[in-house]
Amino acid sequence: MNLDDALKTFVIESRELLESMEEALLRVEQSPGDRDLIAAIFRAAHTIKGSAGLFGLDHVVSFTHNAENVLDMVRSGELGITGELVALFLQVCDHMGLLVDHIEAGTEPTVETHARSAELVGSLKTLAGRPAAEENTPPVRHETPLERDNTNYGEGVESDNWHLSLRFGADVLKHGMDPVAFIRYLTTFGRIVTIVTLTESIPGGPEMDPECCYLGFEINFRSDADKQTIESAFEFVRDDARIRILPPHSKIDEYLELINGLPEEEMRLGEILVRCGTLTQAEIDAALATQAAARDSGEREPAIGEVLLAQQVVQPAVVDAALQKQRQVKESKQGDAALIRVNAEKLDEHINQIGELIIASAGINLAALKTGIPELLEAASVMNRLVENIRDSALQLRMIQIGATFNKFQRVVRDVSKEIGKDIRLEISGAETELDKTVIEKIGDPLTHLVRNSMDHGIEAAELRLARGKPAHGTLRLNAYHDSGSIAIEVSDDGGGLPRERILAKAIERGLVKPDQVLSDNEIHNLIFEPGFSTAEQVNNLSGRGVGMDVVRRNITALRGSIEIESVEGRGTTMRIRLPLTLAIIDGFLVGVGNSSFVVPLEMVVECVELTDDEIAAAQGRDQLNLRGEVLPFIRLRDLFGIPEAPPPERSEAEKLLLASVDEELAFLLQPIKRENVVVVNYAGMRAGLVVDMLQGEYQTVIRPLGAVFNGLQGVSGFTILGSGQVALILDIPGLIRRVADSESRRNRQLTKHRITE
Amino acid sequence: MSSPTTQLAPTPAADQSAVAAGLTEQQQFLTFSLGEEMFAIGILAIREIIEYGNLTEVPMVPPFIRGVINLRGAVVPVVDMAVRFGRPAGEITKRTCIVIIETSDLDPSVAGSHGQQMGIVVDAVSEVLEIPPADIEPPPEFGARIRIDFISGMGKVNGKFVVMLDVNRILALDEVAVLAAMSAPERGAS
Repeated sequence: MNLDDALKTFVIESRELLESMEEALLRVEQSPGDRDLIAAIFRAAHTIKGSAGLFGLDHVVSFTHNAENVLDMVRSGELGITGELVALFLQVCDHMGLLVDHIEAGTEPTVETHARSAELVGSLKTLAGRPAAEENTPPVRHETPLERDNTNYGEGVESDNWHLSLRFGADVLKHGMDPVAFIRYLTTFGRIVTIVTLTESIPGGPEMDPECCYLGFEINFRSDADKQTIESAFEFVRDDARIRILPPHSKIDEYLELINGLPEEEMRLGEILVRCGTLTQAEIDAALATQAAARDSGEREPAIGEVLLAQQVVQPAVVDAALQKQRQVKESKQGDAALIRVNAEKLDEHINQIGELIIASAGINLAALKTGIPELLEAASVMNRLVENIRDSALQLRMIQIGATFNKFQRVVRDVSKEIGKDIRLEISGAETELDKTVIEKIGDPLTHLVRNSMDHGIEAAELRLARGKPAHGTLRLNAYHDSGSIAIEVSDDGGGLPRERILAKAIERGLVKPDQVLSDNEIHNLIFEPGFSTAEQVNNLSGRGVGMDVVRRNITALRGSIEIESVEGRGTTMRIRLPLTLAIIDGFLVGVGNSSFVVPLEMVVECVELTDDEIAAAQGRDQLNLRGEVLPFIRLRDLFGIPEAPPPERSEAEKLLLASVDEELAFLLQPIKRENVVVVNYAGMRAGLVVDMLQGEYQTVIRPLGAVFNGLQGVSGFTILGSGQVALILDIPGLIRRVADSESRRNRQLTKHRITE
Repeated sequence: MSSPTTQLAPTPAADQSAVAAGLTEQQQFLTFSLGEEMFAIGILAIREIIEYGNLTEVPMVPPFIRGVINLRGAVVPVVDMAVRFGRPAGEITKRTCIVIIETSDLDPSVAGSHGQQMGIVVDAVSEVLEIPPADIEPPPEFGARIRIDFISGMGKVNGKFVVMLDVNRILALDEVAVLAAMSAPERGAS
């Protein structure tokens, strides 16, 4: 790993830490007493400072250091959590993000950035309420008296010996001190009963510096000397070593503290206890033997702690502390192992390969059907099933929880509610709902829009709310859940709801709706998605300019999703976004025109009807159809795409193969009788028909992007590869309809022009 | 299910010299015919040569884009060289081939051209030749009947000239893609 890679990791980790810091800040505002949250905030700042120090990013270190000082005071209870403090720290958070951005871009912070740093540091110091000069004075070391305090609660342990815990600093040898000499000196006024050498911190070969001391010792020491004498033995190393001395029959609490103070390493409980001198090896051996015996007799293996307790060798509290420590060590190890950071590109590559696997297996299936060998068919179907499983699990890899996206809105809601002077709370549910990473990345902007909209237009001012008998604070809810193969994300508020009459009036005023037109509630609600539509009386910098909702709808449509509104006037509004689970594979409906195959996204297909000669005659040359009394405009794909009429005879073999892969229920539709079918599609409230030759049934469609060459193509959203190896086009129905509508209106305009010039 | 692949099989003479010199690859060119004329492309840009077939036409694109093929799971656009040069499309015969080209990103002015695979339809592939730099003349000012910027030079082979093509220019993404976008409304109106 070169430094650039390491720096990249630093940037990524810092962002994550800042995110969690922000989240913790927002939560701590609600529950100021939560020690865990305060610790989390402190830890985030501290880690960033530490890592930044490694890279020599001094400006980050010095800035973060000031923040950390204040946080330390909060942690120790000197400062209380106030709204002011949280607000300042949110700014600090943002600023640290900015510094990280600079690091990522490899640019030096600008003058403004430095000025901002200084400004924030100033605020931090004011908040801490102490002059700058004091800031660097080292903390006063509080020497805890070592005298045994009998007034404290807690029983003494059985051990009659002193317990010494020594951790020598790395520089001890360089300062001319030999740890062994101190230990030897101990023997001049007592007897070392047991000594355990801790070697865990010795690094591997190349990193090890032979001039450094990496050792620690746990000593069980029998002596009549007082602690003053023992302590004086270590007089010379007291500054660069951690020395703990526990007198005989020390309180359990002191042992617990010692256990917790041990370096983080996975060790067996017994060893910990032995090292602490609470137990002798003989005692632990006996306990182990009992455990082994229990295992042999087939019983549930009692935990070593229980065994020790049963034998009444140690006090329960000591065992608990040791067990807890062991668990902590294990958990942190497991946490590391359970997650793997994978390059997103590698993952995409993997999913692409699986897409190809699906295509290949479709090909094998087709070939197997052709041969009709039962064993081959069997094998092919087994393989098909496995491939499907692999596909599902691979797509699962891209799934991430929406929680992180939702949590970002804590901040948005907080800032916006301060800005517009409304008390609004955010409730989040369904944060564990998973959806495709690409979708999550792209849903952020539309969601922000909806959230802001709800806060600004939806939720009323406090007085109005009270007058309507609602609580003064508004509630905004973000919810996500899976719903039949798609995911629904809801943004709901308990505000005033959409003003039906005002929307209608506005729409009539703007000519979107004719005054005598009767519209359903739903149709009226959907009017707000029209471009340039706004009912807000005044425009502010949040919303009300009428740009937005149409953009929201367009963004969601681009993700192949839809949005619907549920609103009750005076009660609130719910915006529900529906999105496909993934963008890589869709359920398609395969149709054939001449020799070409096309895929229509299955979710848009409403029904399929036969286009009979009678109906063609009834249409009188118009491209319209009478569908149970409704006018259904249709598009003849053959004409639009200029596909030659009669399929050449050599193709019929391939077509037969395609027929074979189609569901039995649909097989009757594929009789060789020459007739056309209309696929009725429904999108965004529009209905249209596509005239095709053949209906070939449902098809798992792996989407291949259009690529740079075809990006300008309207009406086609991608390619897919059929089992036969043929490439088929995936139709972009809204694009297709728009295209036909545009070209028709253009033609009509031209006709009008001709008439005028004539 | 891709069509059977024809491995790039250099002629024995070229092969031997390539082995002998190792680094002379950039002097090797694939020659092919379009109608009567011979053209050459540096072999470094060429991925493979496949039989013509299994082509899916894409509607509403400029006529020089013949369609797309499935190349082992990747959808690759296929350009008809003759139409790109403003000539009528050649008749499909048994010798018609699709040469798969990977346009390089050597030309920094062409953004996003990195590693784009494209196929070109040629009437027949003839051989891989070694054309030493000494035998390559700069492109003539006029008279080549194709756009001058498509030509990188004129190679002398057996006393005849072959037109050496600059595939990165011919298949330049900005040009090909913009054309595709432009032709959409035109066609729609017609």
